[in-house]
Amino acid sequence: MVRYIIRRLFETIPVLIGVSIVVFSFVHLIPGDPALVMLGERASEENVAELRERLGLNEPLPVQYLVFVGNILRGDLGRSIQGNKPVAGELARRFPATMELSFISLFLASILGIPIGVISAVKRNSLIDTASMVGALVGVSMPIFWLGLLLIFIFGVYLGWLPTGGRLDVTMDLEPITGMYTIDSLLRGDWDAFGNAVKHLVLPSIALSTIPLAIIARITRSAMLEVLHQDYIRTARAKGLHEKAVIFRHALRNALLPVVTVIGLQMGTLLSGAVLTETIFSWPGIGRWLFNSIQGRDYPIVQSVSLVIALIFVLVNLLVDLSYAWLNPRIRYE
Amino acid sequence: MKKRMGWLFTGVLVAAFLLVPLGGAFAQEEPVTFIFGRGGDSVQLDPAVVTDGESFRVTNQGCESLLGYDRETTNVIPRLAESWESNEDGTVWTFYLRQGVTFHDGTPFNADAVVFNFERWRFTDNPYHFAEQAFEYYDYMWGGFDDDSIIESVEAVDEYTVRFTLKEPLAPILANLAMPMFSIASPTAIQEYGADYGTPDVGYVCTGPYKFVEWVTDDHITLERYEDYWGEIEGNVERIIIRVIPDNSARFAALQAGEIHAMEQANIEDLQIAEESDDMYVLTRPALNTAYLAFNYRIQEFRDVRVREAISLAIDRQAIVDAFYGQYGEVANQFLPPVIWGRNEDIPEPEYNPERARELLAEAGFPDGFSEVHVLAVDEETNQVIEDELVDTIPVRLYWMPIVRFYYPDPEGIAQAMASYLADIGIEVELTQAGDWATYLAARREGELLGLYQLGWGGDNGDPDNFLCYFFCGIPKPEEGYYDNPEVEELLMTARVTPDQDARADLYSQASWLLYEDVARLWIAHNRTPLIFSNMVEGYIPNAVGTDLYRFVTIVQD
Repeated sequence: MVRYIIRRLFETIPVLIGVSIVVFSFVHLIPGDPALVMLGERASEENVAELRERLGLNEPLPVQYLVFVGNILRGDLGRSIQGNKPVAGELARRFPATMELSFISLFLASILGIPIGVISAVKRNSLIDTASMVGALVGVSMPIFWLGLLLIFIFGVYLGWLPTGGRLDVTMDLEPITGMYTIDSLLRGDWDAFGNAVKHLVLPSIALSTIPLAIIARITRSAMLEVLHQDYIRTARAKGLHEKAVIFRHALRNALLPVVTVIGLQMGTLLSGAVLTETIFSWPGIGRWLFNSIQGRDYPIVQSVSLVIALIFVLVNLLVDLSYAWLNPRIRYE
Repeated sequence: MKKRMGWLFTGVLVAAFLLVPLGGAFAQEEPVTFIFGRGGDSVQLDPAVVTDGESFRVTNQGCESLLGYDRETTNVIPRLAESWESNEDGTVWTFYLRQGVTFHDGTPFNADAVVFNFERWRFTDNPYHFAEQAFEYYDYMWGGFDDDSIIESVEAVDEYTVRFTLKEPLAPILANLAMPMFSIASPTAIQEYGADYGTPDVGYVCTGPYKFVEWVTDDHITLERYEDYWGEIEGNVERIIIRVIPDNSARFAALQAGEIHAMEQANIEDLQIAEESDDMYVLTRPALNTAYLAFNYRIQEFRDVRVREAISLAIDRQAIVDAFYGQYGEVANQFLPPVIWGRNEDIPEPEYNPERARELLAEAGFPDGFSEVHVLAVDEETNQVIEDELVDTIPVRLYWMPIVRFYYPDPEGIAQAMASYLADIGIEVELTQAGDWATYLAARREGELLGLYQLGWGGDNGDPDNFLCYFFCGIPKPEEGYYDNPEVEELLMTARVTPDQDARADLYSQASWLLYEDVARLWIAHNRTPLIFSNMVEGYIPNAVGTDLYRFVTIVQD
């Protein structure tokens, strides 16, 4: 098992190298460069050339790539082109924000999605089943920005129960430890800040969880349906097991394999795909940062953040693979 | 066990949510705080190295230049310099500095600090002219770095007197010195923080009324009153928080919910709600900008002034302004917007006359209009278009900007309207998107937007030179579509070195007239930017160059 994990970790190295080359090539190959974006309407032939020179963009691409990789290996993520801000510091600020929101959303999606899927499968073709699957369809197809604005108007403006955006009241001070405000406030024993952070999390996590919730519910349902037709379920029922035990201990556990896979994949999607939610709820995470950096051709940010996202993706996949063994003891890691 | 932990966690979340007293409404507490909502974050807080308005919005509250702008206009007023004088030909300028001013780190402001800053910006081998930073505005306003700079020297005559010696007269020098990019920063702080000066961990260290406290990137920046400020703080704001709320609707929701006091960039529907509301009001920033539609002069057909005039007559600019700019826009008849001096008041409003446009097209040899155009070659050395060397035949293209800028509220919609007007006189244009903003700018810079293309300009310092000379000095050049008019350039270059403002105004007026006669470009509109305020805010004046000063703001407590 340990050897397996070590081997898998080594295997991530070529993946990361591949990702770095692909991302590097793509961001440099698309037309336009940071000098242009920084200058905007002022981008004349002459001052763009001058700025490119100063920003080191005139070096041959392979040289720029090697400089980038060399810096990464030394643990230096570089500085952003716009504003010359250290990327590592920015990442440390924003990454926990996205993680916090993604975890909570995925948690919400799982604790609601799995039971809904199970109930739908067990009560197949009943009213509950139809209702929840229609609901899931709506969830998958609902535009997040629309849902987000709707939530803001109902709970933020009309009822005034919840803040319209942000992570914490701007007048509130909380010295970060992990960067996840709910955890930091608990660690510091600051209940006001904890409540405030939770209030800020409610609407964005609802908005962000709709799509994974719907997907998880649908996958759970189909996996459950498949398992419920297996012989051993019939056996379990035949030997007089309580229906609850049949469903939860025998069926669900076996049906969870594809569900866990999907949850893992969703984590990756949430990390990089939270742009809309982060925009609408003014959530200072990496999704919007990456998006803006691509627009601004801020190469160091795009390259480093993509690498980090790739790394997380790989690690989550590893965790998913490891969880298979727990779910199905017949799976062995060699 | 795991499941139980999960439920426990959920329970805690729900309980916390219920225990927190409900009500998101903004409760005013000590200190008096002014919260401003905006769409994007600052790039950096060292104003010398940035070009974006969102950085200046913050630094304007805490950093000061030798001169400043009057609150309501772009007239220059004393700030860190109390008075000044120049020699006859305007090449030597002496500035007498305000005494008893300190930076936020407690160090004194004096002539040495001024010299330190100017040398840092100018000399590329200065240890604080960090290589990875672009001192773009110094380069642009003062003619370049090192020996290219029009500034020969900046010397400290005594502790509170600074002398600028110029290589040649520069008429807009005072307007330039008032720009926020040339704010004087604490030399001690720059030496201490190095390249980290201006980043979120450090912020700025200047002389202004509010000092930097905190910057949570993409979330908010907090500033706090500087108790030793040399001047008077007229309003009652003790703390300023500038929040990033990227989505226009969400920003307006935050204003409605009382989480912020003021905002810029709103959707038209939200502005209507605000105008009608009893809790909010709208102010507009004077229009120091111009949207235009440019011709690429490599297109053979566009080299005929009759064709250009026909295109101008075909497009109903008033209808475009009514439909897309609403009450905040006005039709442009020349490049200089009405808030700037030096305009030509004889230029008539653009006429909409498709009949006459068709006649002109017929005179030019296109009785049925055209849907294809011919591309001419360019001399790479001189950027002159070679009249008789045809390189390509392409559809007539109209390139629209891929992003909304303050001067073009809906580039695509406006382009569609323009296309339908042109179709009316038989010119079938192909609406073309040249990729995202960076790609668009790259194509424009290379002169590759072969057709008609949208762009605009927002002024930096309220001087006509900053509009006209930027575009029409040094022509022909690819980024201006290879437009060539030596007479215009001559007038603008003369105006640049003429000290007398009336004489300059006359030169700009002549240049504007020539551009009008030539139909060099289609000037489309000037747009005022609306800002929405909660009724709690008093004393805010939006400034044309964006130097809104929050020290005049008073928050009214209920």
